Amino acid sequence: MADKKIKIIIAKPGLDGHDRGAKVVARALVEAGMEVVYLGLRQTPESIVNAALEEDADVVGLSILSGAHMTHFKRVKELMDKNGLGDRLLTGGGIIPTKDQDKLKELGVGKVFGPGDDLQAIVDYIRTWRGSGGA
Amino acid sequence: MRTGASIGRSLGPKLWDDFFKGSRLACARLITLVENFPESVPEIRDKLIPRQKGAIRVGITGPPGVGKSTVTAALARRAVKAGHTVGIIAVDPTSPFTGGAFLGDRVRMQSLIGDPHIFIRSMASRDGHGGLSPSTPYVADVFDAFGMDRIFIETVGVGQAELDVLTCADLIVLVLQPATGDIIQALKAGIIEAADLLLINKSDLSGTESLLESFRFLFEISARPKAIAAPPVLTASALHNKGLDEVYKEVEQLIHGHVESGRIREKKRLRLEGEMKSSVLQDLWGRFSALTNAPEEMRTAAEDLLKNGRSPYPFIRNLCARITMEIRDERTNRKDHG
Repeated sequence: MADKKIKIIIAKPGLDGHDRGAKVVARALVEAGMEVVYLGLRQTPESIVNAALEEDADVVGLSILSGAHMTHFKRVKELMDKNGLGDRLLTGGGIIPTKDQDKLKELGVGKVFGPGDDLQAIVDYIRTWRGSGGA
Repeated sequence: MRTGASIGRSLGPKLWDDFFKGSRLACARLITLVENFPESVPEIRDKLIPRQKGAIRVGITGPPGVGKSTVTAALARRAVKAGHTVGIIAVDPTSPFTGGAFLGDRVRMQSLIGDPHIFIRSMASRDGHGGLSPSTPYVADVFDAFGMDRIFIETVGVGQAELDVLTCADLIVLVLQPATGDIIQALKAGIIEAADLLLINKSDLSGTESLLESFRFLFEISARPKAIAAPPVLTASALHNKGLDEVYKEVEQLIHGHVESGRIREKKRLRLEGEMKSSVLQDLWGRFSALTNAPEEMRTAAEDLLKNGRSPYPFIRNLCARITMEIRDERTNRKDHG
């Protein structure tokens, strides 16, 4: 399955209206040869997980700048587990303090990225996750 | 986990069981298998086809940015309201440079999300160059067997001659917008001839009347037999939700008419014949290549032909003659050893 394309959902949950970062990351993933299903702004955890399920996505990436990351990541992870998507990677980025990053990890969320992180690091992280056979 | 070795396992009885019990996750996984593992398609379709109930497959095509996704969403919403179960296949282009794809059609379909009667699947066009991905017809098969009775297939933004949609749609809606071309464009061969319904979207923009006039003229001068009606031309503004009730009504009327007249059945039959022909050709070529070193020979011949400025036909005739001989010999050998 080495040649199977990586399919990834990129979404912004909640009312945070800044989607430039999500678009930049989506573009980088496309340029790295991945198939990105872009959901855009104002998604609910339900709409994101519904899309991940219908698309059979390998990865779900959330972009959150509003400070509501603990709520959204937790809810999306719960819904993913509940819908049989527990073996997929939930990752993302935004303004997320280090102490919260640790808490997210405990919830089963993968690495989260922040301002200034290299786009290639995101691509590499996803490829490595997939290459190792998943979570 | 989700690695190559697990594919054999994942296509096991459990997946089929879940699928036929209506598990959306099983449906999604089956689509992934069809999309990523062409070699598993015959086995999967063997099981799907007997369970199909003949869903109507409506192709939505047209140039980039005319509002195909918005129109698709509007039609899907109305179909569900009328009691149908809907599958949507939304295809966006794969980059020929990186192999990646930005699949953005869901953004225009927000209002459908969470409806249990609708299943949306985005697809990258991958190796397809005619507006769809090669596995698109098989994804429609999955939806059909899953119980959807209306399947909307939205192509990538197309130009004049991307006609893959003909290989998998029973009815074709061509979406256009004003100010994209004059009557000379309308007279050109291609996608317009394939359309069962023409929809001028964004009719709130100026130029709608002149485009309508072009089509009236086009169908007036058409030499098509009188028995075949010209496709209806409708206008709508999907963004402002104007005119779409009429479009949906027309689509359903066309479906009804084409089912009654046997035209849809005829299309399905022609598609099946086309599929058989291309499969046989592929198989013959595969066997011939395995028996000879034809691909290698072709390369050498091409270099030689180019160098000496010769015509390729003697080589082609020779190769074709050998196909008959090689395959006959293969059969004889099999009998001898069998």
